[in-house]
Amino acid sequence: MKRLLLRLEPIIWLLFGQGILIGTILLTGWVLVVGLLVPLGVVPAEALGYERAHRLGANPIGRLVLLAIAALPLWKGAHHLRSLAIDFGGAHRDALVASALYGIAAVGSLLAIAAVLSL
Amino acid sequence: MARAADPRAMGASRPGRTRTAPPRMPPEFPFAGRYRAYTLFDATGLVYLLLGLLALRLARALAAGPEAWEAAMASFRHPLYLAFHALALVSVIFVGVRFFSLFPKAQPPKIGPLAPPPAPLIKAGLYAAWIGVSAALVAILAGGVF
Repeated sequence: MKRLLLRLEPIIWLLFGQGILIGTILLTGWVLVVGLLVPLGVVPAEALGYERAHRLGANPIGRLVLLAIAALPLWKGAHHLRSLAIDFGGAHRDALVASALYGIAAVGSLLAIAAVLSL
Repeated sequence: MARAADPRAMGASRPGRTRTAPPRMPPEFPFAGRYRAYTLFDATGLVYLLLGLLALRLARALAAGPEAWEAAMASFRHPLYLAFHALALVSVIFVGVRFFSLFPKAQPPKIGPLAPPPAPLIKAGLYAAWIGVSAALVAILAGGVF
């Protein structure tokens, strides 16, 4: 497992790096509107009613943005939690922890691809 | 007194001939001095992982139909979700500011035949992209555009 993780490291680092860069750039506006302004009623709920949300999400750029917002933060999260686990708990369980975290990110990314393709 | 670090955390892949002292965690670890920002930066990983899973939930709900979508959006009005998203916004801004400060320092001395742009220019570009994309996304999602 450790050897496989080392072989996959360039791909993991690419996704992790994009998770920080693109994830952060996209998540700021997303969290502000979807997580705060609409639920608090500052922005009317109709702005993200199903019809409009589907129209935005189903166009090619919308699909890409939605995929990036759902998938990339998973890799940033997985990699930083792995790093935190090594710092606090040592490296002896790293293969197990890393496999679980990257597994969540990989399955989540595949589900996100399936979701945006089915819009 | 600094506590002992896990000896395998920073060990060489093969044991060398030279005897070395076992590594020790710095006394500032995890929450004092410069380690506070370092540890918090890593801890934002949990927030990003949860944000990704919540966005995945919304994407799946959008694909499932109007009822699933409305139910998912209605759940975001719960105080726990609101508190989490407030924390998430602070976390995302913290990650952005820290990462965009680090980014120019992580550039190679040469990119092909060219030197990378000066650090202030890289930083300005990153902040311009961040603010521009965020403003555009807010305008689109809030119904101001399209």
